[in-house]
Amino acid sequence: MSLVTLRLRPSQWVGAAMILSLLIFALLEAWLHSGHYAKQNLANYLMMPNVQEWLGTDQFGRSMMARMGSAIRLSFLLSFFCVLTSVLLGSFLGVMAGWYGGWIDRVLNWVVNILMALPGLILVLLLAAILPGSFLMLYFAISLVLWLEYYRVVRALTQVAVSSPQMEASRQLGFGRFYLFKRHIWPSLQSSVLTLAAFGAANSILALASLGFIYVGLQPPVAELGLMVVELLPYFDEAPWILMQPLVAIFMLVLGFNLLAGKAK
Amino acid sequence: MKSILLNRLMQAVMVAWGVGTLTFIFMRTLPGDMAYRIAAGRYGQDNVTAEAAELVRQELNLDVSPWLAYLNWLWDLVQLNFGTSLISGAPVIHEVQHQLGHSLGLAFVAILLSAIIAFPLGVLSGMRVGGLFDRCLLIISALLRAQPVFVIGLLLILLFAVNWRIFPVAGFGTPAHIVLPALALALVLASVSSRVIRDSTHRVIHSSFYTFARVKGLSASQTFARHGLRNLSVPVVAFMGIQLVGLIEGIVMVESLFSWPGIGHGLAHAIFSRDVPMIQGTALMMGLIFVCLNTVIDIACYQLDPRGRLQ
Amino acid sequence: MTPSIEVNELSIFVGQQCLVESLSLRLMQGTPLTILGQTGSGKSLLAQAIMGLLPEEMSLQGEILYEGQPLLTLPKAKRQALWGRALAMLPQEPWHALDPVMKSQQQVAEVFELVGGLEEEQAQDKAGQALAEMGLAPAKDKIPSQLSGGMAQRLAFLAATAAGGDLILADEPTKGLDYSRRDQIVALLQSRLVNGSLLTITHDVDVARQLGGELIVMCQGQVVEQGDAATILAHPQADYTRQLLAAEPSSWNKVSARTQSSAEPIVTLDKVALSRGGNRLFSDLSFQLHAGEILGIAGDSGTGKSSLGDLLLGHLQPDQGRIRYAETYKRHQLLKLYQDPPAAFSPHIPLGRLLQEVIDLHGLDAAQIPRLMTRLKLSEGLLSRTALEVSGGELQRIALLRILLLKPVLLFADEPTSRLDLISAQRIMELLVEVAREEGCALVLVSHDPILVEKVCDQVIRIA
Repeated sequence: MSLVTLRLRPSQWVGAAMILSLLIFALLEAWLHSGHYAKQNLANYLMMPNVQEWLGTDQFGRSMMARMGSAIRLSFLLSFFCVLTSVLLGSFLGVMAGWYGGWIDRVLNWVVNILMALPGLILVLLLAAILPGSFLMLYFAISLVLWLEYYRVVRALTQVAVSSPQMEASRQLGFGRFYLFKRHIWPSLQSSVLTLAAFGAANSILALASLGFIYVGLQPPVAELGLMVVELLPYFDEAPWILMQPLVAIFMLVLGFNLLAGKAK
Repeated sequence: MKSILLNRLMQAVMVAWGVGTLTFIFMRTLPGDMAYRIAAGRYGQDNVTAEAAELVRQELNLDVSPWLAYLNWLWDLVQLNFGTSLISGAPVIHEVQHQLGHSLGLAFVAILLSAIIAFPLGVLSGMRVGGLFDRCLLIISALLRAQPVFVIGLLLILLFAVNWRIFPVAGFGTPAHIVLPALALALVLASVSSRVIRDSTHRVIHSSFYTFARVKGLSASQTFARHGLRNLSVPVVAFMGIQLVGLIEGIVMVESLFSWPGIGHGLAHAIFSRDVPMIQGTALMMGLIFVCLNTVIDIACYQLDPRGRLQ
Repeated sequence: MTPSIEVNELSIFVGQQCLVESLSLRLMQGTPLTILGQTGSGKSLLAQAIMGLLPEEMSLQGEILYEGQPLLTLPKAKRQALWGRALAMLPQEPWHALDPVMKSQQQVAEVFELVGGLEEEQAQDKAGQALAEMGLAPAKDKIPSQLSGGMAQRLAFLAATAAGGDLILADEPTKGLDYSRRDQIVALLQSRLVNGSLLTITHDVDVARQLGGELIVMCQGQVVEQGDAATILAHPQADYTRQLLAAEPSSWNKVSARTQSSAEPIVTLDKVALSRGGNRLFSDLSFQLHAGEILGIAGDSGTGKSSLGDLLLGHLQPDQGRIRYAETYKRHQLLKLYQDPPAAFSPHIPLGRLLQEVIDLHGLDAAQIPRLMTRLKLSEGLLSRTALEVSGGELQRIALLRILLLKPVLLFADEPTSRLDLISAQRIMELLVEVAREEGCALVLVSHDPILVEKVCDQVIRIA
């Protein structure tokens, strides 16, 4: 059994290509480019792109190439860990709750209801406020909100699979839990979990940028897309080219993951 | 009906408890002596003396165990006693009351605008799924959905305020000030809800009950009015409940961007300046707005769809 | 006299493929016309063609006349003006055809109001009366999901004819209805014949027989036989009609009686009672079941037939009474055959692989498969396909094969042929009964069709 059947539609290929190109840019930048995201050089105030600095410099003369590379790596890193955590946690608990029901289901639903009482971003904001500028706290807060979606979807799908005649027939024939999971539950989860993973990546990138934009996320001089937007905003008249860079990066990341996810929920 | 209200009341309690607990933890992790901080909030940074701090300590029972302090904290919350802002010194409840009106106004205009945009567009594209209009709308909506709300707001500012100077850049005062922030929110909401309306329209007009209504003898417009509208709104309104999360999150971002003096702006500002009482008040209000709007939508669903009532 | 509907040489195509081939008919007032055919014979397309509701990708040739007036050349608006007012079409599945969020009475009243031009109050009164005449008065404030199948069909009938249409097109009006409800609907259709015309499309030979009048038998888009209903049903000429009539349970041969054995019964029920959700389904139920014996359970839907199965298979415990087995059987010795064959298989996995997994799990002899394949008249190549790639009849036989591999002592078959067409249903039923006898497996057969149960079972239990 192949774990993932990779059959993408054209729009999904476009999305994959967008993400891949950003990823390659971010990795190549780390490997080949010698600039540092926090190194200031006030003589290079808001330079247009040129031979030395392909993407120009910001208001402190910092290399935009280095800053963009670093910010995109940060976004990928955070979304990767958040999605990984929430997919594993949400799917595992969702299958448990949907399959076993009973008290496991009740306890988990209680926890989920508490977490969902507040809009996700507010919860993230409050948590981020406790430890300002901490990458770990952002990771924890975003994952805490993100896994809920997986849990709910996986639980619902599992419940359908568990009560299906298909699974009942296999159970009658004497098959054990591993077989039932492999043949009946996983196939019904597979596509939704992958779709949700792509949406989740887009959402965690959005959340990180949003927090940065209202100065609640990571703190300067870290290069982070949302933070860069708000820092460069006052200079948009002088250097619209520089402001466009983080905006385009966010746009491509989110659109790329949304396209990859395929049909909306 | 009773169970809807009871459920939402439970949610409100959860919101209060969650906000209270998180802000309490926040308060405890703040560096420095809490009594000094509170005294600084009351009397201004320059007037804090050891005596003033001692008075605060005694008055607020700050020496008790963390658990007791936690219970006190929650008890204050239940009584809506949020204390005073550490920054401005004004009672939190007053500030929040002002902000609440502004946020609700913004939310109301945004929802209205998004309905005006999304409903006709969604229904039209749902009538001819796969047509040119439908495909154009799909692309526009995908592009809008790929933007964080603050980017849409920024683009609106650049176009309408800086370039064409039709609306003010930011701030508050005249009716013109509300247009851009509300439009930014409305576009985000409409980009998703227009798709839901489109899917729902498509499903309803291709359903056998819709055809049967025509076959009974009703005209196309009578059928749409009697059987189309209500059936297609059921999933749309239910979806609004899911969208509320996005609306509340959008309010925080948009208010910060446009300096709109609402709860969201207050919350972001309070977090930035680490003003714990204000954080608590604004986060609580934000959560309660969320609960209230959810309740309104639950009731609308209940009224629209008799099937749900039977269970 | 002008025929109400005259169809001349009508052919319906999808692309190059012909779905209905040169069909001609004349529907006269007062004489019902019935079109009989299995699913996929293209018969439902006729009703859609007359109404002008064919899907856009279909094209048609020939002509259709309504009271002498050609319909196909009529502008769309004029054809739609006939809907309800002249042509009343009964929907196939009334539950889906009624507005799910509108109260029963309103669905009829709005026609009186919007088409009939009555004031709202009068329209409501008239609708209320009409509902009462149909015995639907208690349901007037209910929504479709609260109605039974029979009630929904009567309501749909009222709504469809409220605008005054006296030519009734009934497309599978009895589909999914219980036996007793079916006769009510047929009587209702007949009652409209005095002043109107009736064209019925059905797969049910009994419905055709009860309606009488003219009959057209269709198979794969072609007219097989056409003429007086009573004559055709008594003396079918075409091979297909003969097969169809022979496949009707009432013409089946009674299964030969079981050779009595003195062995202990496999399972004994002693005064068993069961309730679900506060409703008493049955009580005082007692019977014994021996190896190779066939027990039929008949009754309308919702009477607890499936719950009785769960009791026998040990998935449920009775509220009262006892169930005694000859010995403690393993779970895979008490098995169930499902109503909907695809529901019991993982899609996307080749059937052979699924069978192999059962063999590996229980350490069975793989040589059984070819023997059983032959016995069940299945061809070898089927095993490399998935459940989605074989027909319903074949899949049901593979389901049976998978069960037989495990040498079950008791098999509970829940309407195993109701989703299949009449002819393959008969074949499967025959095989099922024969194989159960041969393998010495007790068979419990659930069906809504009392005649079928009567024909194939050694003993029959009716649940009311």
